[in-house]
Amino acid sequence: MGTTITAKQNSKAASAAVSAVNDRFSDAGIVAEVIAHSAGKKYEFVRITCAPAQWRALAKWLASEAGVNYCGMITGTHFPEGPSERGWEVAVHLYRWPIANVAPHTCTIHVGEKLTGDDIPIEYEVFIPIEKTESPSVPSVQDIWGGADWNEKETWDLVGIDFEGHVNMHRVLNPHDSPDEFHPLQRQHKIRYHDFNEMYDDPQGFGRKPVDEGRVK
Amino acid sequence: MNDWLGLHDFIFYRTRELCWWAFEGTFLESSSNDVAFFIHTLLTCLITFGGIMISMFMILWIERKFYARVNDRRGATTALRSLWVGENGVTAGEWWNMIPYGLGKPVGAINGWLNRVAGNDGHQQEMVNRVGNRSWYGVSIFPGFFQNLADGMKFLIKEHMVPNRADKVIFELAPFLVISSTVMILGMIPLSSGIYGANPELSVLFAFAIFGIAPLGVFFAGWSSNNKYTLLGGIRSAAQLTAYEIPLLLSILGVCIMAGSFNFLEIVHFQHSSGVWLLFLMPLGAVLFLVSMIAEVERIPFDMPEAEAELVEGWWTEYGGMRFGLLFAAEYMRVYAASILFAHFFLGGWHSPFAGLIPGGPLIPGVIWTLLKAWLIFTVVFVWARTALPRIRTDQILEFGWRMLLPLSVIQVALAIVYRIYLFDASALNDSTSGGWAWDAGLFPWAVPVLTTVFWLALFLVFMNDEDDTEDMERMYHVQTLTPAGTHTAGTE
Amino acid sequence: MAEMWITMGPQHPMTHGLWTLRVKVDGETVTDTEAELGYIHRGVEKICESRDFTQITPYCDRLCYVSAMTWAHSYIMAAEDLLEAEVPERAEYIRLMAAEIQRLASHLMWLGAFGPDIGNLTLMTWCLRDREMFLDLLQELGGSRMHYNFPRVGGVKRDIPIGWADRLRAKIKLFEHRIDEYEMLLDESTIWLVRLQGVGYATAEDQLNEGVSGPNIRAAGVNTDARWTNPYSVYDQVDWEPAVEKPTSVKGADCYDRYRVRMEEMRQSCRMILDAIEKIPGGSNTHYSPGDEMILTKAPTRAPEGATGTSTYECTRGVSQFYLQGGGDGRGKHPYRVSIRSPMFITIPYVAKTMIGYKVADIPAIMGSFDPCIGETDR
Repeated sequence: MGTTITAKQNSKAASAAVSAVNDRFSDAGIVAEVIAHSAGKKYEFVRITCAPAQWRALAKWLASEAGVNYCGMITGTHFPEGPSERGWEVAVHLYRWPIANVAPHTCTIHVGEKLTGDDIPIEYEVFIPIEKTESPSVPSVQDIWGGADWNEKETWDLVGIDFEGHVNMHRVLNPHDSPDEFHPLQRQHKIRYHDFNEMYDDPQGFGRKPVDEGRVK
Repeated sequence: MNDWLGLHDFIFYRTRELCWWAFEGTFLESSSNDVAFFIHTLLTCLITFGGIMISMFMILWIERKFYARVNDRRGATTALRSLWVGENGVTAGEWWNMIPYGLGKPVGAINGWLNRVAGNDGHQQEMVNRVGNRSWYGVSIFPGFFQNLADGMKFLIKEHMVPNRADKVIFELAPFLVISSTVMILGMIPLSSGIYGANPELSVLFAFAIFGIAPLGVFFAGWSSNNKYTLLGGIRSAAQLTAYEIPLLLSILGVCIMAGSFNFLEIVHFQHSSGVWLLFLMPLGAVLFLVSMIAEVERIPFDMPEAEAELVEGWWTEYGGMRFGLLFAAEYMRVYAASILFAHFFLGGWHSPFAGLIPGGPLIPGVIWTLLKAWLIFTVVFVWARTALPRIRTDQILEFGWRMLLPLSVIQVALAIVYRIYLFDASALNDSTSGGWAWDAGLFPWAVPVLTTVFWLALFLVFMNDEDDTEDMERMYHVQTLTPAGTHTAGTE
Repeated sequence: MAEMWITMGPQHPMTHGLWTLRVKVDGETVTDTEAELGYIHRGVEKICESRDFTQITPYCDRLCYVSAMTWAHSYIMAAEDLLEAEVPERAEYIRLMAAEIQRLASHLMWLGAFGPDIGNLTLMTWCLRDREMFLDLLQELGGSRMHYNFPRVGGVKRDIPIGWADRLRAKIKLFEHRIDEYEMLLDESTIWLVRLQGVGYATAEDQLNEGVSGPNIRAAGVNTDARWTNPYSVYDQVDWEPAVEKPTSVKGADCYDRYRVRMEEMRQSCRMILDAIEKIPGGSNTHYSPGDEMILTKAPTRAPEGATGTSTYECTRGVSQFYLQGGGDGRGKHPYRVSIRSPMFITIPYVAKTMIGYKVADIPAIMGSFDPCIGETDR
């Protein structure tokens, strides 16, 4: 049958990872906990919450000590109506995978059930809440993981969260000449039709009246 | 031996007579020979050129149909039969049963075997056949044969564009160079001993001198279009065509040394009176000629200059309308010229096979033999290579041409000289049934060509199978990188 | 000769989609590259904030249109994580088979585009013709050939039709011979080898750090595959192995290795499908009507504020992730945020870096061997 990671391995790795993070960072206020997915195999992963100022230290430690070698997704969300200490949030998804260079003409065949210790793949989720502000920013981890590079560009482009220290930040999905403060995934930008019925009514908005100003349509 | 359809002489003498008869007694009497010559030349050029151009439709049709059928995998004889019927229905039906006296049964057996080995059978046919399962409503004669005529008419009505900042004079001039040099060659290639446009004594030399002008036109086109893609394409093309001129000319030199003459008619005549086709006396030269010709006419696997994947259309990109149409036609004219040349140089031209042994002369005019051989070479070499092979990268093409083909062609010239000096016996040339020096020289009939062919074939098979099957297989054409991957941030210096 | 910038794209036969690759060439050698994406950015993430969870599935089909089943499956897994839905086992098997058939179709499309890039025009017809077989199978499941809208939160829309299993077995068995034919055409062709070997090196660790995953890493000698490292669905119950290829140089995997990995993946997918159709609970020749609890459970449709759902999925081109946050409009009927991680978005800039130092003619070989798809890149 196909190889896999057993639930036992998974929870062992998750709790080991969480205790490693907590041992190192609990006095700095960084919280790590084991969370289980709510569907499918319901495997566990590590969720860490940290402040923007601590993010770089945590990232460096994860990359060098915890063996986190893959940065999957860095994304951001805008919370205009929420508590003031969480006006924005950056969510980072990282993975630890047992991948290493091989000598030529050889390959590494991992058997999932036989992996132990730090070789067991584990998933990390890091939440970085940012207080309500007009110019949110977190430090960039572009030099730690190359996979963070274009993810950070996309987050800045679409959501507007600045990444300090990011080299060569530019628009990736929006046109290069988009207006400076235009970041479409912020909540104040409404898309034209919320419901597809309205799209069929008047897709170009020719029937708009002055009283429709500010309305979704 | 001269072909019985001696149109050239026929027209020559008849026009002379006609002119003498027409101008007798008038003030033009003294120039009647010159007028006859003019009319005669006009007619023979028209016939030759017209014959080649009309029969070129066959080339285009073969390419389209055969190429599509190789891609199609619809079953062995379905593919072939659709050449003359069209795509009616899913299979060819058991057409061999309709041949009288049960002569078609072996065909049925072969068809069954082919389908089992390399085709679709039964429900597989239905499963994979949904794409392109069109039926063809209409006359069942050569469907698609005149497609290219329609294409040509379409090109005529298209817009004639010149890019904004292109070098207008050179841009307009370049297609002329390419097309005119190609067409001039066609005038010089004989279709048989009695059908040719012009026959100077050094016709081979002249033809290939003109053939070599085309690279210049290609380079002009690539440069003058003011387009980076065409520039790349034009330069690649210039490099490639120059590189492959040399093996081409050297292999032709080998042919001319063997035959002792630079004249097309004499070379074919030599093959007949020696009793052997030059293919068997110099197989290496034949292969070199073919490979160099494929490179010269820029067909896959050597079509990097017009590689669609990078360069859209290469040096043709900016040409529209009939210019593009004529350039495209010029490429096919060059391919056709290459096929006919191969037929003349190596396959005995207008003679039927074993013409020396079969007495009584051929029933079919020589021109038909020439065309059949040219079409066969086109199908088997040019089209088949195009379907099966990817294209080779430019630097690999150049490396191949300079480092591998050039030494081989020098070897071939040396061998031709050796054969001519030591094995050729001028007194053994004869046009009769059996004989010729290739027949007589050696211990058994045809000893020299048979031994030569067997030797080179054995060498080829040995080299072909001498492959390193281990993991550390020797890789050709290693490429060095300037900077290793991953060390450069795109967009920065 | 002076160096010049050539713009390949946005309309270009090679680019497999709508993006621009600007290359700086010195003669025939590439000295610098720059990738510009975003031409078909459709704002899917923003649109999904005002759609409910079933309405988002068609959008996910259209992310990578060549590989729609896998993207819809990836999204549905994240939605089920957010909504805490259960999935019956038969539905998991159906989803697995649909995803693997889609993987076959996607790899055939890749090969059908890659071959002509290298110059072998025959491959386009052959591969697309064989892909038709699988599109027919998926059409029976999902209703259309490319965008199926097939998975539902809690199961699948429709059960496999009667007779689908027999057609599936026949087609897979035929296809396994077809893979042999492709290998005969390509692996024994010196020109193919000469174009692809020694070109486009990339090591496993380098790729991993840069965010590349999937077949590209497996070509570099490590058999990690999200189907077993982050297990989901019933992959641990079907018979398969991740396809892995030994790189030929300390510099990593070249284009030939990446090509071979995908051929081997096609074989593994065939193996998986044949095994799954035998093991499917409820039998392969039974059909449960839509909505039956064998294939669909009633799932909650609202997610409270603060709930999150993620999925890690082995898409045909790499590891794709969805991250959903609940609590949007309609008291949680819509997600608050949908975040999509596309493997190709990260890979294409990396590949642009890989090309430096090689020839212009190697650009389609390298780019094609990484299998770009711009639909998922630009979202």
